[in-house]
Amino acid sequence: MPDHNGNIDRRTLLKALGSAGATSVVFSSCARSIGTARADSNPSLTGGKWDKTVTLASAGPGGNPAWQPGDAVKFLPPEKMPTRGRASDTLARLSKEQLLTLYRRMNASRKWETAMKDLFVGGKDGLYGAFHTYIGEEAIACGVMAALNDDDYIASTHRGHGHLIAKGGDLNQMAAEIFFKESGYNKGYGGSMHITDMSKGIMGMNGIVGASFYLAAGAALRALVRGTKQLAVAFFGDGGANSPYYFSAVRSCANYRIPVIFVNENNFQYMGVPMATVCPTKYISDYTKGLDIPHHVVDGNDVAAVYAATKEAADWARAGKGPSMIEGITYRWYDHSGFAGGRVGKDAAWGLPYRSDEEVRQWMTRDPIARFKAWLLEKELARASELAAIEAEAQSAVESSIAFARQSKDPDPRAGVLNTHAGGAVPATQFFNRSGLANPVSV
Amino acid sequence: MARKSYAYAQLEGVAQEMRKNKDMVFFYEYEVPVATLPTGEVLDLAKEFGPLRTSGRGWAIDESWLVGSAVGVAAAGSIAVVRLPSMTTLYAIEYIYNQAGKLRSMTGGQASMPFVLWQSGGGRTKGSAGQHTEVGQEALYANLPGIKVVVPSNAYDAKGLLIAAIRDPDPVVYFDYPEVKSGEQPEVPDDPYEVPLGKAVVRQPGRDITIVAWAPASVEVKRALPAIAKAGISAEYIDPRTLKPLDVGTLAASVKKTRRLLVVEHGHYTGGYGSHVIAEVVQAVPGVKAKKIAFPDVPGPGAQGMMAWLRPDAPKIVDAAIEIMKA
Repeated sequence: MPDHNGNIDRRTLLKALGSAGATSVVFSSCARSIGTARADSNPSLTGGKWDKTVTLASAGPGGNPAWQPGDAVKFLPPEKMPTRGRASDTLARLSKEQLLTLYRRMNASRKWETAMKDLFVGGKDGLYGAFHTYIGEEAIACGVMAALNDDDYIASTHRGHGHLIAKGGDLNQMAAEIFFKESGYNKGYGGSMHITDMSKGIMGMNGIVGASFYLAAGAALRALVRGTKQLAVAFFGDGGANSPYYFSAVRSCANYRIPVIFVNENNFQYMGVPMATVCPTKYISDYTKGLDIPHHVVDGNDVAAVYAATKEAADWARAGKGPSMIEGITYRWYDHSGFAGGRVGKDAAWGLPYRSDEEVRQWMTRDPIARFKAWLLEKELARASELAAIEAEAQSAVESSIAFARQSKDPDPRAGVLNTHAGGAVPATQFFNRSGLANPVSV
Repeated sequence: MARKSYAYAQLEGVAQEMRKNKDMVFFYEYEVPVATLPTGEVLDLAKEFGPLRTSGRGWAIDESWLVGSAVGVAAAGSIAVVRLPSMTTLYAIEYIYNQAGKLRSMTGGQASMPFVLWQSGGGRTKGSAGQHTEVGQEALYANLPGIKVVVPSNAYDAKGLLIAAIRDPDPVVYFDYPEVKSGEQPEVPDDPYEVPLGKAVVRQPGRDITIVAWAPASVEVKRALPAIAKAGISAEYIDPRTLKPLDVGTLAASVKKTRRLLVVEHGHYTGGYGSHVIAEVVQAVPGVKAKKIAFPDVPGPGAQGMMAWLRPDAPKIVDAAIEIMKA
């Protein structure tokens, strides 16, 4: 059904869906550019076609309490969203080296998580613990990070491997942490959900929904206190926006002009609950429309759109004007956590009860990496052979990371009483004598 | 009477009380309240009671709303039950501390508070790490005035304590630990019944030592009991079931006989509820030899080796029982 350029034949699609969807206008860009009074006068930022009338299965990702389980398709992307216009021009101004780094990181992110998926599903390495894949959403992390400085902060979510890789996280240490090895980023204490690299301003993935808002706000507040030009990015999902921390943090950052960029990765499903049933507005960013801060609603599968919006938001923050809100509409190819419906050697999760395979297929035609690659080639900013070399290099880095993880040592179990306080160990109160078993018996 | 799963027993208890109380509400996050009998009979509370009295197909991730609105329902006079998942163990505590637990007293007895927080607990499992592995936060709730705390460790108690908590006019925090849900379960009657609040149960009688543990440490104590017997020690094992109000009478009667007390806790050591158990027992029965083993004061790490070493599991319980006999 989709052609090689990712275009969808709408008639075929609707036939497949069995019902015509509602027609609605989506995604007018509400970005306010620096120095102008209102954003609405500058609608071409995203460069895509988010401001055109498209056919959706529902009136939008949110605000549809009438959605019923069994309504097969909740939300589909517009049929065509080429990367063009001002966002495209903005991205094209990056140096070739920067563009290739962007491409490398998007590929590394995709390939690293895909390899981990194969290991978890394959079962040979005995991997355990949670794993929330970012696959399908890479344009947001990579687009955001391309507009940041190395010393800026990010606060991530449970779905944050892509954020780490986009900010230059080390694949080896990440893989070792998934294996709970001593050489992992968190020395085996944290696992997937808590990977952190403070040396790169990565304040960590986090197992608590909505935890990123205050961590990022605090880091940005510290930058103000110290007089640096750093800013902080708080990533959050459509689910996290319902945390009470959300409005509190955005409101205070707006009030005190704290340099935070709030980046919503709206995949419009929190676990298996559709955003339509828990969100009264069409877009997550509508929640904060009453605050006089720039709001950018962008195609989250278009790295140019995300980059251009973040660039504006970063300039805005560094000019002392405070926070911005960016909402990227995107889609996760896999289940909320783990790999239900996933198979070794096959992309995406299929047959999940809360969404249709057709929906997954449609979103896969909007693959952010394929779109970026097509754009690079079309603009003649890179040669196909160069991109192929980068893909191969990314794959080889992924494979090395797995070898590194496998070869690394398990942590000493007794390290369990370390690292809770800055110095020393806490008492081993699990033992009668606080040191070990005096009477080893088998039970 | 079909053999029920732990989850079915709990939801059956809630459904029975909701049928009786037409304005009772049941809010939940994350897990949809559906359970099935082996016979295929499905209990679907959202379907049976509708979206106004339940969270329907799921509410937003917003524990403040779930707990706060339910406390309001209860303060206004209707029974309200809220179920929160294990990763939000303490989200509710501020509202429970300053509203649920205090309104009756502050209003001079005017405000009733038929509120139950059905709080899923974590577990000392490998791989979850830090925020999703903790156990023992019942001690924090027990410290709050006005709040009662129960912790069931089998399907029979799970249903009976839930119904007792729902019928109690005061706020009750009901801790629901996953570790106790698998394995052999007692029969669960179809009819509604109460396991009275404040009543401990002697799970195994003995003469030499009194072991006290509740879910989830009860699983490891049960594993340890045969080895303790093999070591020639006659252990009496007591599950308090209700932590607050604590059944000090049953505990004291046992320790008067055994003169030795071992408390096993999977919660953190400092300020864990087991410390209060020891404090009550040694005040009631002077001259007791008492010992507590507990998870150290560390966030549960992800690596399985570390977690296994830190858990007060059966071998460590057997060791402690042998050592306390020597002491």
